[in-house]
Amino acid sequence: MAGLLDRFAPLMGQRDALFADGGTDPFQVKMDRIFSQTEAMIGNKRTILVGTNNYLGLTFAPEALKAAHDALEACGTGTTGSRVANGTYYGHKELEVALCDFFGKEHAMVFSTGFLANLGILSTLMGPEDYILMDADCHASIYDGVRGSSAQIIRFKHNDAADLDKRLNRLADKPGNKLIVIEGIYSMLGDKAPLADIVAVKKKYENVYLLSDEAHSLGVLGQYGRGLPEEVGCEDDVDFIVGTFSKSVGTVGGFCVSSHPQFNILRLACRAYVFTASLPPSVVASATVNLGLVKSGGALRKRLMRNAQHLHSGLTALGLKVASENSPVVAVVAPDPLVAVAFWRGLIDEGVYVNLALPPATPYGYSLLRASLCAAHTEEQLDKVIAIFGRVATKVGLIEPVEHKRSAVG
Amino acid sequence: MNAPTGAEPSPDTLAALYEILKSFNKTGAELGPGTRFSEDLNFDSLVVMEFIAVVEDDFDISVPLNILPDIATIKDLAVAVEKIVAADK
Repeated sequence: MAGLLDRFAPLMGQRDALFADGGTDPFQVKMDRIFSQTEAMIGNKRTILVGTNNYLGLTFAPEALKAAHDALEACGTGTTGSRVANGTYYGHKELEVALCDFFGKEHAMVFSTGFLANLGILSTLMGPEDYILMDADCHASIYDGVRGSSAQIIRFKHNDAADLDKRLNRLADKPGNKLIVIEGIYSMLGDKAPLADIVAVKKKYENVYLLSDEAHSLGVLGQYGRGLPEEVGCEDDVDFIVGTFSKSVGTVGGFCVSSHPQFNILRLACRAYVFTASLPPSVVASATVNLGLVKSGGALRKRLMRNAQHLHSGLTALGLKVASENSPVVAVVAPDPLVAVAFWRGLIDEGVYVNLALPPATPYGYSLLRASLCAAHTEEQLDKVIAIFGRVATKVGLIEPVEHKRSAVG
Repeated sequence: MNAPTGAEPSPDTLAALYEILKSFNKTGAELGPGTRFSEDLNFDSLVVMEFIAVVEDDFDISVPLNILPDIATIKDLAVAVEKIVAADK
């Protein structure tokens, strides 16, 4: 008889081929001491963190720290209960009101993580007669969410509004409701959805709703940080916004906001909301405070984008292939997983942390060194990061040594 | 395993699928109605998605993700594709 986990043999083989030679395993990194939003001790190495999704650097915001401390003292370390049982404190309701105010929507539900928000909403929203049309590059939590739905699940080509149009057109005579699912910024390459085009397609058909996951765009895009719909100016056309507090908001938790009049019935229907413990009060308090800082964070957004452009131009100038442009995610493409792992290890040895992202978790089968910027990065830190990228890229053979380049040119 | 579907797909549908599969057939397995995607062609979830996207383009249809777990062989897929094409008319 086959062993319990034998079916993971291909994954084990892939892991062993990449990591079993004794070097650092990129998926077992341990932060031994946290110095700030942008630096930590990993082993014996003081390391610049360029892969945290901590876009605005709010994890140490003094106002949020104080609110969290106060809530911890006042309410204890946890609620020990579900939102529908004993786990809704005044703080959870205040956070939901703050989310409604922030987005200008009628209703908000706070979940325990962003993953659970997608899982809960996407598995519950649409029924057996309905259709979900999702962008092919959506996050794992969206895939897992729709898998739990009784609706028909259809993928459209990544960021291709014409393909979406074609697929909606085929369904035009079908009676069910349709839900389009996209992300504001896609996490791996940092590219934005063509939201204006998608909204135009949506409006051509009846009974079509739009859900956008703003996990990576909340706090990053829009004058007040409300994400891609704010930047594009079509917030009323996005019926459901899902997001997380674990990126720009600097803590953990998930949410969904909507002005649909019957939205609140989801509080009883969403299993990922009903059957899990609610967020600890200290987390809720810091999320509420940081949401306010996101709104007033125009200066942070400017610094974030300036930092992103700085790293992007520095890495491009080295001759590296960077997949994203004008985005807080700067993803360097390596030719294959082995080179990517060697590259990643070279960076970590020199004190730079980025995310290693390998297929099948990446689009186009890319092997990526995925950097994400923080408003708190200094120019000095980023210059150091760029210099280290240059040294390591030369070592792993991705770019020619600088002297060679010079002599080749002149 | 899958229960027999009963329906027999048309040779045209099968031929179109074989044609698409040429560029996905990394194991060099011989292609027939009974060829299995997972066991014979070594398709993982990523390849399945890429392959289905090409099938959708070729037949101008949408293949719902929901039906994928029930598709083990080329014949299963051919039958499913014909069903979708018929429903779209």
